[in-house]
Amino acid sequence: MKPRLALLVPLALAVAVPLAVATVNDALSFAKEAAAPYAKQGFTIREDAWGGDLGVKDQQAVTAQLFRGNEYWFWLATDTRGAVITVHVYDSDGKLAESEFWQKGRFAAAKVTPAKTGAYYAIVTVEKSPQERSNWALVYGYR
Amino acid sequence: MLSRLLFLVSYGLTLVSSLGQIPSAATPPVSIDLSKFPAAAVDEVVVPVPSEIFSVLDKLGSPNWKAEMRDNLGKNTGNRAQVALLLGTVIADGFVAVEAENSESVKQIGQEVLNLADAINVRKAVLARSKSIMDKADSKNWRAVREELDGALQDVRSAMVELGDADLAQLVSIGGWIRGTEVLTSIVGKNYSATGAELLNQPELLNYFTRRIDEMRSSRLKKEDLVGRVRKLLRDIRPLIGKGGISQASVEKINKMTNEVVVVITSEEA
Repeated sequence: MKPRLALLVPLALAVAVPLAVATVNDALSFAKEAAAPYAKQGFTIREDAWGGDLGVKDQQAVTAQLFRGNEYWFWLATDTRGAVITVHVYDSDGKLAESEFWQKGRFAAAKVTPAKTGAYYAIVTVEKSPQERSNWALVYGYR
Repeated sequence: MLSRLLFLVSYGLTLVSSLGQIPSAATPPVSIDLSKFPAAAVDEVVVPVPSEIFSVLDKLGSPNWKAEMRDNLGKNTGNRAQVALLLGTVIADGFVAVEAENSESVKQIGQEVLNLADAINVRKAVLARSKSIMDKADSKNWRAVREELDGALQDVRSAMVELGDADLAQLVSIGGWIRGTEVLTSIVGKNYSATGAELLNQPELLNYFTRRIDEMRSSRLKKEDLVGRVRKLLRDIRPLIGKGGISQASVEKINKMTNEVVVVITSEEA
């Protein structure tokens, strides 16, 4: 199936760099591949995804409505070889909400078991990258 | 592709258990100031798919889902705003029918989704989904039906956005949310618990839906009576789900409010 991206407005939209969809799709493919093993653990992975491009040390918040009683994993990837990216999840008070996370180069993930139902913020950061801007894609799953 | 997969297998499976070895650069701060993010970065809200809510409801007990089903799914009046909202409510009804494990109703809903999608020129986008919903309902593969219903909702919205009908696409989501909230409040109201009521704590989502209506590009659509009614509903619900617990009285009030709007959406006079 052709991946679909709900492209959120990147922080640096003012630069108005058109996204090369094919390249963002590469990032999406990586993110979905990172998520795939979790489906076997009972996580339903949403078909839609969020993405964009960011400069080094730039951040993007993706706001999500999460429900207490579910567990969530957020998986992030970039197509930029050599880039290091992270995703961390905060509650509406700005407090770190994740119970686990992992990070390895172009891949990162964070797990949230919401203590309360409400809005949560997945903060995407490009920690370092050999390129000025790096495409990223984020997917999440729940069970 | 194989090399990518192998890479993931070798790292993805082991990194979770190697939390302590993560470089300090990746260690997140325990709190952040969300106000430092530009409004554009946080105002967009990921709308949950209905399955996320039903997944929680599954864990709360065994409600009488059959009692939540409707005989009358509504009528297409030819008004595009009404059809979009109605489509959302019908998809939400699909989830109720899945919970009730009523394959005949699921199949009927699958057909109705197709009919309504046809009315707003996105039949092609949901044709395969509709067939799959019916096939999986026949085989009583309920989890798969849920996923197909989620997918149908997303496909319809994507197709509408591609056609330049982002405003209508939003109404599909809002219609689904209203009917889903009507069902949710009915269930929680019948067996009230603070945990169940907490599922309604969705202020950012309500704000987001309200903004989407306020910022509709089509002034004609925005001025539709039905859209105005929906906007008022969202505004009226907002104070009922503020900080603190959501009382049984609030749950019942939201149920009454959403029910009234669902009746309007499904009626011939919409």
